[in-house]
Amino acid sequence: MEAASIPHPAGHAGGEHHGPPPAHHSSRVEAPLLGMLLFIISEVMIFGAFFTAYFFIRIAEGEPWPAPGMHLPVPVAFVNTLILVSSSFTLHWAEQSIKRGNRFGLKAGMLTTFLLGCTFLFIQINEYANLGFAPQDHAQQTIFYSLTGLHGAHVFIGLLILASVTVRAFRGHYSPESHRGVEVPGIYWHFVDIMWIVVFTTVYVL
Amino acid sequence: MLNPLRSEDDAFRLLLYAIGVVVVIAVLVVIVRAIA
Repeated sequence: MEAASIPHPAGHAGGEHHGPPPAHHSSRVEAPLLGMLLFIISEVMIFGAFFTAYFFIRIAEGEPWPAPGMHLPVPVAFVNTLILVSSSFTLHWAEQSIKRGNRFGLKAGMLTTFLLGCTFLFIQINEYANLGFAPQDHAQQTIFYSLTGLHGAHVFIGLLILASVTVRAFRGHYSPESHRGVEVPGIYWHFVDIMWIVVFTTVYVL
Repeated sequence: MLNPLRSEDDAFRLLLYAIGVVVVIAVLVVIVRAIA
């Protein structure tokens, strides 16, 4: 019982504090937001590397895009873009709803967002199955699958996060005072949407 | 000032701006291609 006689520092009088000491915060930014900030910065760099490869293949080689025999289903991709953009609107609705204490809006918004995201991914997988060319055919096909596949992987991760938020919403989590668990995944989802708009425009439209 | 990493609100606004900018660029490129 020697340890019990050691005087406690100020603020822990009487040895009431258990567990590790409180973390020191050297930043004015909250830890979850700082984590998301660093994560998204690293994501921008990853997408930047892929876009560099895309523009190199498309411009430096001087070949037409898409290459002969590489038919891109632009109308399907456009509808898919509308679906993904819609999911950002429903997510924003969910976030605004919980800020006002509207639990129905939160649950309906999160569920709709999740289903729209699933629809986007399903259509993209179906598109891959019917494209008629493979990643190993040519550099252009490689970068097409790489860019859209990288984005698809982000959608998949986003869906896992959205599923978690949706389940928590249905279990009664979150409130007008505490909704960081909706806000931070929301930032990630909007980022994924913005990246898709850039990918769709450069790969399918321009 | 818009900081999309500060809140979901700002991220959503950035998404709207991105849509606007991309639509303008795409329309301009399509028009230039049609003229050229």
